[in-house]
Amino acid sequence: MILVVLEHDGARLRKGALEAVTRARQLSALGAVSGVVIGENLGAVAEEARRYVGTVYVAEVGGYTAEKWAAAAYAAAQKAGARVVIATGGRQSRSWSAKLAYKLGAALLEDTLETSTDGSRVVATRYSFLNRVTEKQAAGLPVVITAKPNTTPLAEPQGEGSVESLSVEAPAAQVEVLERVVEQKKGVSLTEATVVVTGGRGLGSPEAFAGVEQLADLLGGAVGATRAVVDAGWRPYGEQVGQTGKTVQPGAYIALAVSGAVQHQAGMNKSKYIVAVNKDAEAPIFKIADYGIVGDVHQVLPALLEAAKKLKD
Amino acid sequence: MKFVAIIRQVPDSESRLKIDGGKVDLSGATLILDQMDEYAVEEVIRLQEKHGGESVIVALGPERFEEAVRTALAMGTDRAVHLVQEGYLDPISQAQALAEVLREEAPDVVITGGQQADWDSQALGPAVAEALGWPVVAWTTALELEDGKAKAKHDLDEGAEVVRVGLPAVFTTQQGLNEPRYPTLPGIMKAKRKELKKVPVSAASKVEVLEQTIQERTRLNKVLDGTKDPQGAASELVRLLHEEAKVI
Repeated sequence: MILVVLEHDGARLRKGALEAVTRARQLSALGAVSGVVIGENLGAVAEEARRYVGTVYVAEVGGYTAEKWAAAAYAAAQKAGARVVIATGGRQSRSWSAKLAYKLGAALLEDTLETSTDGSRVVATRYSFLNRVTEKQAAGLPVVITAKPNTTPLAEPQGEGSVESLSVEAPAAQVEVLERVVEQKKGVSLTEATVVVTGGRGLGSPEAFAGVEQLADLLGGAVGATRAVVDAGWRPYGEQVGQTGKTVQPGAYIALAVSGAVQHQAGMNKSKYIVAVNKDAEAPIFKIADYGIVGDVHQVLPALLEAAKKLKD
Repeated sequence: MKFVAIIRQVPDSESRLKIDGGKVDLSGATLILDQMDEYAVEEVIRLQEKHGGESVIVALGPERFEEAVRTALAMGTDRAVHLVQEGYLDPISQAQALAEVLREEAPDVVITGGQQADWDSQALGPAVAEALGWPVVAWTTALELEDGKAKAKHDLDEGAEVVRVGLPAVFTTQQGLNEPRYPTLPGIMKAKRKELKKVPVSAASKVEVLEQTIQERTRLNKVLDGTKDPQGAASELVRLLHEEAKVI
Protein backbone atom coordinates (compact mmCIF):
# COMPACT_ATOMS: atom_id res chain seq x y z
CA MET A 1 0.00 0.00 0.00
CA ILE A 2 1.11 3.55 -0.79
CA LEU A 3 -0.02 6.50 1.32
CA VAL A 4 -0.05 10.05 -0.05
CA VAL A 5 -0.10 12.89 2.45
CA LEU A 6 -2.23 15.41 0.59
CA GLU A 7 -1.19 18.99 1.25
CA HIS A 8 -3.94 21.61 1.21
CA ASP A 9 -4.59 25.24 2.09
CA GLY A 10 -7.68 24.51 4.20
CA ALA A 11 -10.07 24.87 1.28
CA ARG A 12 -8.46 23.03 -1.62
CA LEU A 13 -5.73 20.51 -2.31
CA ARG A 14 -2.46 22.14 -3.26
CA LYS A 15 -0.90 21.56 -6.66
CA GLY A 16 1.82 19.63 -4.85
CA ALA A 17 -0.74 17.13 -3.56
CA LEU A 18 -1.70 16.27 -7.12
CA GLU A 19 1.97 15.91 -8.04
CA ALA A 20 2.38 13.51 -5.11
CA VAL A 21 -0.61 11.46 -6.33
CA THR A 22 1.05 11.13 -9.74
CA ARG A 23 4.24 9.96 -8.03
CA ALA A 24 2.25 7.35 -6.10
CA ARG A 25 0.56 6.08 -9.26
CA GLN A 26 3.97 5.77 -10.92
CA LEU A 27 4.96 3.39 -8.10
CA SER A 28 1.78 1.30 -8.34
CA ALA A 29 3.88 -1.88 -8.52
CA LEU A 30 4.26 -1.34 -4.76
CA GLY A 31 0.52 -1.26 -4.03
CA ALA A 32 -2.75 0.63 -4.26
CA VAL A 33 -2.90 4.33 -3.40
CA SER A 34 -4.64 5.79 -0.37
CA GLY A 35 -4.33 9.27 1.08
CA VAL A 36 -4.49 11.27 4.26
CA VAL A 37 -5.48 14.89 4.86
CA ILE A 38 -4.22 16.49 8.06
CA GLY A 39 -5.35 19.69 9.78
CA GLU A 40 -8.66 21.19 10.87
CA ASN A 41 -12.11 21.54 9.24
CA LEU A 42 -11.16 19.03 6.59
CA GLY A 43 -14.60 18.32 5.12
CA ALA A 44 -14.05 20.10 1.81
CA VAL A 45 -10.52 18.86 1.16
CA ALA A 46 -11.50 15.29 2.07
CA GLU A 47 -14.32 15.49 -0.54
CA GLU A 48 -11.85 16.68 -3.15
CA ALA A 49 -9.24 14.11 -2.11
CA ARG A 50 -11.52 11.11 -2.58
CA ARG A 51 -11.54 11.77 -6.31
CA TYR A 52 -7.85 10.92 -6.43
CA VAL A 53 -7.25 8.01 -4.05
CA GLY A 54 -8.96 4.80 -2.90
CA THR A 55 -9.36 5.70 0.75
CA VAL A 56 -8.94 9.13 2.33
CA TYR A 57 -8.05 9.14 6.01
CA VAL A 58 -9.07 12.34 7.73
CA ALA A 59 -6.89 13.43 10.64
CA GLU A 60 -8.42 16.38 12.48
CA VAL A 61 -5.48 17.39 14.66
CA GLY A 62 -5.79 21.19 14.66
CA GLY A 63 -3.09 23.66 13.61
CA TYR A 64 0.33 22.70 12.32
CA THR A 65 3.19 21.36 14.34
CA ALA A 66 5.74 18.92 12.92
CA GLU A 67 4.96 16.57 15.83
CA LYS A 68 1.22 16.42 15.10
CA TRP A 69 1.71 16.00 11.35
CA ALA A 70 4.24 13.19 11.83
CA ALA A 71 1.92 11.47 14.33
CA ALA A 72 -1.06 11.74 11.96
CA ALA A 73 0.88 10.48 8.93
CA TYR A 74 2.21 7.64 11.08
CA ALA A 75 -1.29 6.66 12.24
CA ALA A 76 -2.54 6.72 8.63
CA ALA A 77 0.41 4.65 7.40
CA GLN A 78 -0.26 2.07 10.13
CA LYS A 79 -3.97 1.96 9.36
CA ALA A 80 -3.39 1.65 5.61
CA GLY A 81 -0.54 -0.80 6.04
CA ALA A 82 1.52 1.50 3.86
CA ARG A 83 5.17 0.70 3.21
CA VAL A 84 5.57 3.78 1.03
CA VAL A 85 4.57 7.31 2.10
CA ILE A 86 4.75 10.23 -0.33
CA ALA A 87 4.39 13.98 0.30
CA THR A 88 5.39 17.19 -1.42
CA GLY A 89 8.61 18.75 -0.27
CA GLY A 90 7.87 22.11 1.30
CA ARG A 91 9.78 23.34 4.33
CA GLN A 92 7.15 21.96 6.75
CA SER A 93 6.77 18.59 5.09
CA ARG A 94 10.51 18.16 5.01
CA SER A 95 10.47 18.55 8.81
CA TRP A 96 7.68 16.15 9.69
CA SER A 97 8.59 13.61 6.99
CA ALA A 98 12.00 13.14 8.63
CA LYS A 99 10.26 12.42 11.93
CA LEU A 100 7.87 10.08 10.17
CA ALA A 101 10.73 8.17 8.52
CA TYR A 102 12.34 7.70 11.92
CA LYS A 103 9.07 6.48 13.47
CA LEU A 104 8.53 3.98 10.66
CA GLY A 105 12.15 2.83 10.66
CA ALA A 106 12.01 3.87 7.02
CA ALA A 107 14.53 5.29 4.59
CA LEU A 108 13.95 8.88 3.55
CA LEU A 109 14.25 9.96 -0.07
CA GLU A 110 14.13 13.71 0.22
CA ASP A 111 13.16 16.42 -2.26
CA THR A 112 13.16 13.99 -5.18
CA LEU A 113 12.85 14.97 -8.84
CA GLU A 114 11.60 11.58 -10.00
CA THR A 115 11.05 8.17 -8.48
CA SER A 116 10.72 4.66 -9.92
CA THR A 117 10.68 1.11 -8.63
CA ASP A 118 11.76 -2.36 -9.69
CA GLY A 119 9.15 -3.82 -7.34
CA SER A 120 11.41 -4.04 -4.29
CA ARG A 121 13.47 -0.86 -4.13
CA VAL A 122 12.72 2.75 -4.94
CA VAL A 123 15.24 4.66 -7.02
CA ALA A 124 15.12 8.45 -6.91
CA THR A 125 17.02 11.36 -8.38
CA ARG A 126 17.59 14.55 -6.42
CA TYR A 127 19.96 17.48 -6.28
CA SER A 128 22.72 17.82 -3.74
CA PHE A 129 25.71 20.09 -3.08
CA LEU A 130 23.63 23.27 -3.29
CA ASN A 131 21.72 22.11 -6.34
CA ARG A 132 24.92 21.57 -8.31
CA VAL A 133 25.03 17.77 -8.34
CA THR A 134 22.35 15.36 -9.55
CA GLU A 135 22.33 12.29 -7.37
CA LYS A 136 20.70 8.92 -7.90
CA GLN A 137 19.69 7.22 -4.64
CA ALA A 138 18.14 3.85 -3.86
CA ALA A 139 16.34 2.54 -0.79
CA GLY A 140 14.40 -0.54 0.22
CA LEU A 141 10.99 -0.48 1.93
CA PRO A 142 9.62 0.99 4.08
CA VAL A 143 10.38 4.34 2.51
CA VAL A 144 9.21 7.94 2.93
CA ILE A 145 9.49 10.11 -0.17
CA THR A 146 9.17 13.86 -0.54
CA ALA A 147 8.66 15.16 -4.06
CA LYS A 148 10.17 18.46 -5.10
CA PRO A 149 7.41 20.87 -6.17
CA ASN A 150 7.02 21.56 -9.90
CA THR A 151 8.63 18.30 -11.00
CA THR A 152 5.65 16.07 -11.77
CA PRO A 153 2.48 16.31 -13.89
CA LEU A 154 -0.69 16.89 -11.87
CA ALA A 155 -2.87 13.81 -11.35
CA GLU A 156 -6.31 13.59 -12.92
CA PRO A 157 -9.26 12.53 -10.76
CA GLN A 158 -9.84 8.79 -10.83
CA GLY A 159 -12.89 7.12 -9.27
CA GLU A 160 -14.64 7.80 -5.99
CA GLY A 161 -12.75 6.84 -2.88
CA SER A 162 -14.11 6.33 0.60
CA VAL A 163 -13.56 8.71 3.51
CA GLU A 164 -12.56 7.42 6.92
CA SER A 165 -11.84 9.46 10.01
CA LEU A 166 -8.62 8.67 11.80
CA SER A 167 -7.87 8.95 15.47
CA VAL A 168 -4.39 10.21 16.20
CA GLU A 169 -2.62 9.86 19.50
CA ALA A 170 -1.37 13.21 20.73
CA PRO A 171 2.43 13.34 20.48
CA ALA A 172 4.41 13.40 23.72
CA ALA A 173 6.62 16.25 22.56
CA GLN A 174 4.48 19.38 22.45
CA VAL A 175 5.00 22.67 20.71
CA GLU A 176 2.79 25.53 21.83
CA VAL A 177 2.08 28.09 19.13
CA LEU A 178 1.93 31.60 20.63
CA GLU A 179 1.56 33.67 17.50
CA ARG A 180 1.37 33.05 13.79
CA VAL A 181 2.61 35.65 11.35
CA VAL A 182 0.99 34.71 8.09
CA GLU A 183 2.34 36.57 5.11
CA GLN A 184 -0.71 37.72 3.24
CA LYS A 185 0.16 36.65 -0.23
CA LYS A 186 -2.02 37.00 -3.22
CA GLY A 187 -1.57 34.65 -6.12
CA VAL A 188 0.54 31.55 -6.39
CA SER A 189 3.14 30.36 -3.91
CA LEU A 190 6.77 30.85 -4.77
CA THR A 191 7.75 27.20 -4.98
CA GLU A 192 4.74 26.25 -7.09
CA ALA A 193 4.82 29.21 -9.47
CA THR A 194 5.58 28.64 -13.15
CA VAL A 195 6.98 32.16 -13.43
CA VAL A 196 9.13 33.78 -10.75
CA VAL A 197 10.17 37.43 -10.94
CA THR A 198 13.02 38.18 -8.54
CA GLY A 199 14.36 41.57 -7.61
CA GLY A 200 17.89 42.24 -6.40
CA ARG A 201 19.64 44.99 -4.52
CA GLY A 202 20.21 46.83 -7.79
CA LEU A 203 16.58 47.93 -7.74
CA GLY A 204 17.72 50.53 -5.26
CA SER A 205 14.70 50.73 -2.94
CA PRO A 206 11.80 48.72 -1.52
CA GLU A 207 9.43 50.96 -3.51
CA ALA A 208 10.94 49.73 -6.76
CA PHE A 209 9.46 46.30 -5.98
CA ALA A 210 6.05 47.63 -7.01
CA GLY A 211 7.19 47.08 -10.60
CA VAL A 212 8.42 43.58 -9.76
CA GLU A 213 5.02 42.76 -8.25
CA GLN A 214 3.22 44.14 -11.28
CA LEU A 215 5.29 42.04 -13.66
CA ALA A 216 4.72 38.93 -11.55
CA ASP A 217 0.97 39.64 -11.50
CA LEU A 218 0.84 40.18 -15.25
CA LEU A 219 2.61 36.88 -15.89
CA GLY A 220 0.67 34.94 -13.26
CA GLY A 221 3.85 34.43 -11.27
CA ALA A 222 5.28 34.96 -7.81
CA VAL A 223 7.77 37.51 -6.46
CA GLY A 224 11.21 36.39 -5.31
CA ALA A 225 13.99 38.29 -3.58
CA THR A 226 17.73 37.94 -3.04
CA ARG A 227 19.36 37.61 0.34
CA ALA A 228 20.70 41.17 0.19
CA VAL A 229 17.19 42.50 -0.34
CA VAL A 230 15.77 40.43 2.52
CA ASP A 231 18.64 41.36 4.85
CA ALA A 232 17.97 45.02 4.06
CA GLY A 233 14.39 44.48 5.24
CA TRP A 234 12.87 45.35 1.86
CA ARG A 235 11.09 42.02 1.46
CA PRO A 236 10.08 39.15 3.82
CA TYR A 237 12.19 36.01 4.28
CA GLY A 238 9.40 33.98 2.70
CA GLU A 239 10.33 35.42 -0.68
CA GLN A 240 14.02 34.68 -0.48
CA VAL A 241 15.45 32.44 -3.18
CA GLY A 242 18.81 30.80 -2.63
CA GLN A 243 20.91 28.62 -0.35
CA THR A 244 19.20 29.77 2.84
CA GLY A 245 15.88 30.60 1.21
CA LYS A 246 13.67 28.66 -1.12
CA THR A 247 14.64 26.53 -4.08
CA VAL A 248 12.54 27.11 -7.17
CA GLN A 249 12.52 25.71 -10.66
CA PRO A 250 9.85 27.54 -12.62
CA GLY A 251 9.40 27.60 -16.39
CA ALA A 252 10.73 31.14 -16.43
CA TYR A 253 12.92 32.74 -13.76
CA ILE A 254 13.21 36.47 -14.36
CA ALA A 255 16.04 38.04 -12.37
CA LEU A 256 15.93 41.84 -12.23
CA ALA A 257 19.07 43.60 -11.01
CA VAL A 258 20.33 40.34 -9.50
CA SER A 259 24.07 39.75 -9.83
CA GLY A 260 23.74 35.99 -9.41
CA ALA A 261 26.06 34.93 -6.58
CA VAL A 262 26.60 31.17 -6.23
CA GLN A 263 24.42 31.15 -3.11
CA HIS A 264 21.56 32.66 -5.11
CA GLN A 265 22.12 30.27 -8.00
CA ALA A 266 21.70 27.35 -5.57
CA GLY A 267 18.03 28.31 -5.33
CA MET A 268 17.22 28.81 -9.01
CA ASN A 269 19.81 27.26 -11.32
CA LYS A 270 17.49 24.43 -12.36
CA SER A 271 14.84 26.78 -13.75
CA LYS A 272 13.80 25.89 -17.28
CA TYR A 273 14.54 29.35 -18.66
CA ILE A 274 16.56 31.99 -16.87
CA VAL A 275 16.09 35.63 -17.84
CA ALA A 276 18.36 38.37 -16.55
CA VAL A 277 18.25 42.14 -16.59
CA ASN A 278 21.36 43.82 -15.26
CA LYS A 279 23.37 46.89 -16.07
CA ASP A 280 26.63 44.98 -15.64
CA ALA A 281 27.23 42.80 -18.69
CA GLU A 282 29.83 40.87 -16.66
CA ALA A 283 27.39 39.90 -13.87
CA PRO A 284 27.55 36.12 -13.17
CA ILE A 285 23.80 35.83 -13.79
CA PHE A 286 24.36 36.29 -17.54
CA LYS A 287 26.55 33.16 -17.64
CA ILE A 288 23.54 31.03 -16.72
CA ALA A 289 20.91 33.10 -18.53
CA ASP A 290 18.96 31.98 -21.57
CA TYR A 291 17.73 35.48 -22.31
CA GLY A 292 18.86 38.78 -21.01
CA ILE A 293 19.00 42.51 -21.37
CA VAL A 294 22.02 44.57 -20.45
CA GLY A 295 20.60 47.84 -19.26
CA ASP A 296 19.32 49.95 -16.41
CA VAL A 297 16.53 48.11 -14.64
CA HIS A 298 14.74 51.41 -13.99
CA GLN A 299 14.35 51.84 -17.74
CA VAL A 300 13.99 48.20 -18.74
CA LEU A 301 11.40 47.16 -16.13
CA PRO A 302 8.78 49.79 -17.14
CA ALA A 303 9.38 48.81 -20.77
CA LEU A 304 8.92 45.14 -19.88
CA LEU A 305 5.67 45.94 -18.08
CA GLU A 306 4.41 47.78 -21.13
CA ALA A 307 5.39 44.96 -23.50
CA ALA A 308 3.86 42.32 -21.20
CA LYS A 309 0.61 44.32 -20.96
CA LYS A 310 0.44 44.52 -24.74
CA LEU A 311 0.95 40.76 -24.96
CA LYS A 312 -1.86 40.07 -22.50
CA ASP A 313 -4.34 42.43 -24.22
CA MET B 1 22.82 24.18 31.35
CA LYS B 2 24.28 22.32 28.43
CA PHE B 3 24.08 23.37 24.80
CA VAL B 4 25.04 21.17 21.83
CA ALA B 5 25.61 22.14 18.20
CA ILE B 6 25.69 19.38 15.60
CA ILE B 7 27.90 20.31 12.67
CA ARG B 8 29.09 19.09 9.26
CA GLN B 9 32.05 19.91 7.09
CA VAL B 10 31.07 20.77 3.52
CA PRO B 11 32.67 22.15 0.36
CA ASP B 12 32.72 25.93 0.13
CA SER B 13 29.98 27.08 -2.24
CA GLU B 14 32.52 28.88 -4.42
CA SER B 15 34.61 25.73 -4.70
CA ARG B 16 34.53 23.83 -8.00
CA LEU B 17 33.24 20.29 -7.69
CA LYS B 18 34.44 17.39 -9.79
CA ILE B 19 33.16 13.89 -10.38
CA ASP B 20 35.39 10.84 -10.27
CA GLY B 21 34.09 7.33 -10.92
CA GLY B 22 30.46 8.48 -10.69
CA LYS B 23 30.89 10.17 -7.29
CA VAL B 24 31.71 13.68 -6.14
CA ASP B 25 35.44 13.97 -5.53
CA LEU B 26 36.19 16.53 -2.83
CA SER B 27 39.98 16.32 -3.07
CA GLY B 28 41.11 19.80 -3.99
CA ALA B 29 37.88 21.46 -2.84
CA THR B 30 38.02 23.98 -0.01
CA LEU B 31 36.19 22.42 2.93
CA ILE B 32 34.54 24.57 5.57
CA LEU B 33 32.25 24.42 8.58
CA ASP B 34 28.78 24.46 7.01
CA GLN B 35 27.38 28.00 7.02
CA MET B 36 23.98 26.97 8.38
CA ASP B 37 25.72 24.96 11.11
CA GLU B 38 27.85 28.02 11.87
CA TYR B 39 24.68 29.75 13.11
CA ALA B 40 24.20 26.76 15.45
CA VAL B 41 27.72 27.10 16.84
CA GLU B 42 27.27 30.84 17.37
CA GLU B 43 23.93 30.30 19.08
CA VAL B 44 25.22 27.72 21.59
CA ILE B 45 28.05 30.10 22.49
CA ARG B 46 25.58 32.96 23.02
CA LEU B 47 23.31 30.74 25.12
CA GLN B 48 26.28 29.73 27.26
CA GLU B 49 27.38 33.36 27.64
CA LYS B 50 23.90 34.26 28.84
CA HIS B 51 22.91 31.24 30.91
CA GLY B 52 26.24 29.65 31.88
CA GLY B 53 27.03 25.95 31.65
CA GLU B 54 28.73 24.18 28.81
CA SER B 55 28.78 24.32 25.00
CA VAL B 56 29.59 21.11 23.14
CA ILE B 57 30.15 20.30 19.45
CA VAL B 58 28.95 16.98 18.11
CA ALA B 59 29.79 15.81 14.58
CA LEU B 60 29.28 12.63 12.63
CA GLY B 61 31.45 12.19 9.58
CA PRO B 62 34.81 11.17 8.19
CA GLU B 63 38.20 11.94 9.79
CA ARG B 64 38.49 15.13 7.72
CA PHE B 65 35.61 16.69 9.72
CA GLU B 66 38.14 17.37 12.49
CA GLU B 67 39.15 20.62 10.82
CA ALA B 68 35.57 21.95 10.97
CA VAL B 69 35.24 20.71 14.56
CA ARG B 70 38.39 22.68 15.46
CA THR B 71 36.92 25.76 13.80
CA ALA B 72 33.80 25.41 15.95
CA LEU B 73 36.00 25.04 19.05
CA ALA B 74 38.03 28.07 17.99
CA MET B 75 34.84 30.13 17.83
CA GLY B 76 34.52 29.48 21.56
CA THR B 77 32.80 26.20 22.35
CA ASP B 78 34.19 24.04 25.17
CA ARG B 79 34.75 20.55 23.81
CA ALA B 80 33.72 18.17 21.05
CA VAL B 81 32.60 14.63 20.33
CA HIS B 82 33.36 13.38 16.82
CA LEU B 83 31.65 10.18 15.68
CA VAL B 84 33.98 8.98 12.97
CA GLN B 85 32.52 7.15 10.01
CA GLU B 86 33.88 7.19 6.47
CA GLY B 87 31.46 6.96 3.57
CA TYR B 88 27.84 8.04 3.11
CA LEU B 89 25.36 7.68 5.94
CA ASP B 90 21.85 9.02 5.40
CA PRO B 91 20.42 11.59 7.86
CA ILE B 92 17.89 9.21 9.42
CA SER B 93 20.61 6.67 10.23
CA GLN B 94 22.84 9.51 11.46
CA ALA B 95 20.07 10.65 13.79
CA GLN B 96 20.00 7.22 15.36
CA ALA B 97 23.76 7.22 15.99
CA LEU B 98 23.76 10.83 17.21
CA ALA B 99 20.85 10.22 19.57
CA GLU B 100 22.92 7.69 21.51
CA VAL B 101 25.60 10.28 22.21
CA LEU B 102 23.06 13.02 22.92
CA ARG B 103 21.17 10.87 25.41
CA GLU B 104 24.44 10.42 27.28
CA GLU B 105 25.33 14.11 27.07
CA ALA B 106 21.80 15.07 28.18
CA PRO B 107 21.87 18.68 26.91
CA ASP B 108 19.05 21.19 27.35
CA VAL B 109 19.28 22.52 23.82
CA VAL B 110 20.50 20.94 20.57
CA ILE B 111 20.93 23.12 17.47
CA THR B 112 21.91 22.16 13.93
CA GLY B 113 21.73 23.71 10.47
CA GLY B 114 18.39 23.98 8.68
CA GLN B 115 20.02 22.40 5.64
CA GLN B 116 23.64 21.53 5.01
CA ALA B 117 25.46 22.37 1.79
CA ASP B 118 26.65 18.86 0.93
CA TRP B 119 23.58 16.64 1.11
CA ASP B 120 21.00 19.46 0.72
CA SER B 121 19.00 17.64 3.41
CA GLN B 122 16.72 19.28 5.98
CA ALA B 123 16.10 16.03 7.85
CA LEU B 124 18.83 15.83 10.46
CA GLY B 125 17.37 18.12 13.16
CA PRO B 126 13.81 16.74 13.00
CA ALA B 127 15.07 13.14 12.88
CA VAL B 128 17.35 13.69 15.89
CA ALA B 129 14.40 15.19 17.79
CA GLU B 130 12.25 12.20 16.91
CA ALA B 131 14.97 9.77 17.99
CA LEU B 132 15.16 11.53 21.36
CA GLY B 133 11.41 12.12 21.75
CA TRP B 134 12.04 15.86 22.04
CA PRO B 135 10.17 18.67 20.27
CA VAL B 136 11.74 20.28 17.19
CA VAL B 137 11.58 23.85 15.96
CA ALA B 138 12.80 24.11 12.36
CA TRP B 139 14.19 27.21 10.61
CA THR B 140 14.64 29.21 13.80
CA THR B 141 15.26 32.96 13.43
CA ALA B 142 15.13 33.92 17.12
CA LEU B 143 15.64 31.91 20.30
CA GLU B 144 15.51 32.78 23.98
CA LEU B 145 15.25 30.71 27.14
CA GLU B 146 12.99 31.64 30.03
CA ASP B 147 11.76 29.64 33.05
CA GLY B 148 13.11 26.35 31.78
CA LYS B 149 11.36 26.76 28.45
CA ALA B 150 12.37 28.11 25.07
CA LYS B 151 10.57 30.77 23.10
CA ALA B 152 11.46 30.73 19.43
CA LYS B 153 10.44 32.32 16.16
CA HIS B 154 10.69 30.12 13.11
CA ASP B 155 9.79 30.09 9.41
CA LEU B 156 6.94 28.05 7.96
CA ASP B 157 6.17 27.38 4.29
CA GLU B 158 4.44 30.74 4.21
CA GLY B 159 5.10 33.19 7.01
CA ALA B 160 6.44 32.46 10.47
CA GLU B 161 5.30 31.72 13.99
CA VAL B 162 6.39 32.16 17.56
CA VAL B 163 6.33 28.98 19.64
CA ARG B 164 7.11 27.87 23.17
CA VAL B 165 8.59 24.45 23.86
CA GLY B 166 9.72 22.66 26.97
CA LEU B 167 13.37 21.66 27.25
CA PRO B 168 15.20 19.64 26.15
CA ALA B 169 14.43 20.53 22.55
CA VAL B 170 16.03 20.55 19.11
CA PHE B 171 16.27 23.63 16.89
CA THR B 172 17.40 24.04 13.31
CA THR B 173 18.86 27.31 12.10
CA GLN B 174 17.77 29.87 9.59
CA GLN B 175 19.66 32.88 8.34
CA GLY B 176 18.93 35.82 10.61
CA LEU B 177 19.30 33.81 13.83
CA ASN B 178 22.59 35.56 14.58
CA GLU B 179 25.83 36.83 13.04
CA PRO B 180 28.47 34.13 13.58
CA ARG B 181 31.75 35.39 15.01
CA TYR B 182 35.11 34.73 13.41
CA PRO B 183 37.57 32.59 15.34
CA THR B 184 40.28 34.78 16.88
CA LEU B 185 43.96 33.86 16.87
CA PRO B 186 43.97 33.10 20.63
CA GLY B 187 40.76 31.15 20.04
CA ILE B 188 42.45 29.06 17.37
CA MET B 189 45.46 28.42 19.65
CA LYS B 190 43.21 27.42 22.54
CA ALA B 191 41.08 25.16 20.31
CA LYS B 192 44.10 22.95 19.68
CA ARG B 193 44.16 21.98 23.33
CA LYS B 194 40.43 21.55 23.84
CA GLU B 195 39.01 18.08 24.38
CA LEU B 196 38.02 16.32 21.16
CA LYS B 197 36.76 12.82 21.79
CA LYS B 198 36.65 10.53 18.78
CA VAL B 199 34.25 7.60 18.74
CA PRO B 200 34.34 5.19 15.81
CA VAL B 201 30.91 4.24 14.45
CA SER B 202 29.95 1.79 11.73
CA ALA B 203 26.26 2.31 11.11
CA ALA B 204 24.56 0.93 8.01
CA SER B 205 23.00 3.46 5.66
CA LYS B 206 19.33 3.03 4.78
CA VAL B 207 19.93 4.91 1.55
CA GLU B 208 22.50 4.06 -1.08
CA VAL B 209 23.94 6.74 -3.34
CA LEU B 210 24.21 5.05 -6.73
CA GLU B 211 25.63 7.82 -8.83
CA GLN B 212 26.41 11.51 -8.79
CA THR B 213 26.72 13.65 -11.89
CA ILE B 214 27.11 17.32 -12.65
CA GLN B 215 24.65 18.29 -15.32
CA GLU B 216 25.07 21.86 -16.30
CA ARG B 217 22.24 22.94 -18.46
CA THR B 218 23.32 24.53 -21.69
CA ARG B 219 21.94 28.02 -21.62
CA LEU B 220 20.97 29.99 -24.72
CA ASN B 221 22.82 33.16 -23.65
CA LYS B 222 20.79 35.45 -25.91
CA VAL B 223 21.61 38.81 -24.42
CA LEU B 224 20.15 42.00 -25.84
CA ASP B 225 21.48 45.53 -25.52
CA GLY B 226 19.01 47.64 -23.57
CA THR B 227 21.22 50.64 -22.96
CA LYS B 228 20.16 52.63 -26.04
CA ASP B 229 16.65 51.38 -26.72
CA PRO B 230 15.15 49.81 -23.59
CA GLN B 231 11.65 49.67 -25.16
CA GLY B 232 12.90 47.81 -28.21
CA ALA B 233 14.91 45.34 -26.11
CA ALA B 234 11.98 44.75 -23.75
CA SER B 235 9.53 44.07 -26.62
CA GLU B 236 12.01 41.68 -28.21
CA LEU B 237 12.55 39.86 -24.89
CA VAL B 238 8.81 39.47 -24.31
CA ARG B 239 8.42 38.21 -27.89
CA LEU B 240 11.20 35.62 -27.39
CA LEU B 241 9.68 34.40 -24.11
CA HIS B 242 6.26 34.14 -25.70
CA GLU B 243 7.08 32.74 -29.14
CA GLU B 244 10.39 30.93 -28.74
CA ALA B 245 10.50 29.73 -25.12
CA LYS B 246 6.69 29.68 -24.83
CA VAL B 247 6.86 30.32 -21.10
CA ILE B 248 4.73 33.46 -20.89
